[in-house]
Amino acid sequence: MASPALGAGADAATEIVLQTPARSLWSDAWRQFRRHRLALAGLGVLVLLTAAVVLGPLILGTDPQAIDFGAKDEGPSLAHPAGTDELGRDQLVRLLVGGRLTLAVASAAVLVSIVVGVLVGALAGYAGGFVDNALMRLVDVFYSLPSLFIVILLVTLLGAGFATIVIAIAVFSWMNTARLVRASYLSLKEKEYIEAARTIGVGDFRIALRHILPNALTPVIVSATLGIATAILIESALSFLGLGFQPPQASWGAMLNQSQTAVINQGHWWRGFFPGAMIFVTVLSVNYVGDGLRDALDPRKEER
Amino acid sequence: MGTYVIRRSLQAIPLLIGISIVIFLMLQMTPGGPLASSEAGGGRATAERTERLREEFGLDDPLPVQYVNWAGGIVTGDWGTSYNTGRPVLGTILDRLPTTLLLTGLAFVIALAIALPVGILAATRQYSVFDYVSSGVSFVGVAIPSFWFGLMLLYLFSFRLGWLPSSGLEDLRMQHVGPAALWDRASHLIMPVAVLSLIATAQLTRYVRGSMLEVLHEDYVRTARGSGLPERSVIVRHAFRNAAIPVVTIAVLMVPELFLGAVITESIFAISGMGRLFIESADLRDYPVLLGILTIAAVLVVLANLLADLLYGLLDPRISYG
Repeated sequence: MASPALGAGADAATEIVLQTPARSLWSDAWRQFRRHRLALAGLGVLVLLTAAVVLGPLILGTDPQAIDFGAKDEGPSLAHPAGTDELGRDQLVRLLVGGRLTLAVASAAVLVSIVVGVLVGALAGYAGGFVDNALMRLVDVFYSLPSLFIVILLVTLLGAGFATIVIAIAVFSWMNTARLVRASYLSLKEKEYIEAARTIGVGDFRIALRHILPNALTPVIVSATLGIATAILIESALSFLGLGFQPPQASWGAMLNQSQTAVINQGHWWRGFFPGAMIFVTVLSVNYVGDGLRDALDPRKEER
Repeated sequence: MGTYVIRRSLQAIPLLIGISIVIFLMLQMTPGGPLASSEAGGGRATAERTERLREEFGLDDPLPVQYVNWAGGIVTGDWGTSYNTGRPVLGTILDRLPTTLLLTGLAFVIALAIALPVGILAATRQYSVFDYVSSGVSFVGVAIPSFWFGLMLLYLFSFRLGWLPSSGLEDLRMQHVGPAALWDRASHLIMPVAVLSLIATAQLTRYVRGSMLEVLHEDYVRTARGSGLPERSVIVRHAFRNAAIPVVTIAVLMVPELFLGAVITESIFAISGMGRLFIESADLRDYPVLLGILTIAAVLVVLANLLADLLYGLLDPRISYG
């Protein structure tokens, strides 16, 4: 009684294997990623959050700077779900508009750091020798710099603005990408397909750009995703210290900074709770997505 | 091993020189250079006074000369004088340093005291409720912005409950003696230390758990169990001693992170440590003080890296340095 069932199962298994169509790296990664429930949830939250931040203020139609002394310092209510501040400004719409700033800064900083990291890593890994040595010592130096202090310094001395904050964050987040890309280049440039390309006369630049780069980028994806979380935390910390975005611009960190007296001395908890919760939820979601991507893209991980 | 220690230590010197050059140049590259912005901001200095100050601080010398003068001063203990107060930089920093070191030290001890037992217990009971809860909490802990955590603690314990003071390191309204003085100090430290150690604790717990899990599947652990040793001895003497090697490295590297992170804690709780001094000096464009603090922070980072490397070799006999 057991053996026919076993036989049927084995047949089914063979059939499934035979019918499996060829899958690309990305569809395979997506299949893996979907299994990581928290990562999927994180992705969902991020998509919703981005949509809310981009479209929300348009739908609400409230001016984030509109002052209403009749409704100042109000706790959360139906009219103002996240309460109001001492000028009676609606905190929900301010949160959404502030989220645009926070997310834009983090994305821009990660983008800049990837470009710099890929350039440095590719150059070091492909050129090798003296260039490699010099660039890797530079990476060592940047790893050893007290980054938070220097970010504070750059922003204070150069004046806080979108570009300055992006650059200050990017200056200290390209090294990981550079190391990863360098390692990929070192191993990939010895591969046969590169040798083949060289034999048929493909130039160095074209090999580095068209043949190695696409294969070297996979490990960068995970580190870039997690980099968004770090960038959000740094921007928020800067703005919380009063060094980042200045009023009337208010990122989540800046809203926290402006909420300090209201929360500590007057007990208006909603002023601090909501901006911090936004940062927390965003960073947590990004971390989960990064975790899921790491599992999905890890070639050593066997198919279960 | 001896030669390795010396060789590795010597490697730190060019690194430190490289760092000091980057720091020095970064300050020089600000628009207008030193003095320009602070004078313009204050609006009180005449051209004459600016000229005198430039001469006094040697700002008209070529950059390499300025760098050598400054670096030589750092080595010989002459860190220059503050543009703002006119006091020696080294003394100004040393006044503030103990507070920051106290916060860093306490946060480090707390992080270890929580992370070690929780991480080990979670690993030995993988997939248990305790494991799920502690892993969940530590994943969440990494994502909590420390300043938000601090603000919410202040709301709860200072505003709502009135249990803990909201700022400073001691009660300025009255002098306490005996046990009351001790409680006064402790009550001022509880929240800042909790905020500072939050992320380190969460990260370290994850490392301890991961490191233990790797070791627990090794053959020698099974052998130890198989030879009838009590479970406690297997975990502590056989498994943990090996799992501890990477944990020590990570823990050492966390010290400079805590030290730098103290800037945020000091800001939330209005504690006048080195972090606040740094922000005040950045506001005032007080370059000698900024350079001094950056030097201390950079040396700490390099020393922690060096120590982590050396400890790794010392603790793991499988690593040999020819």
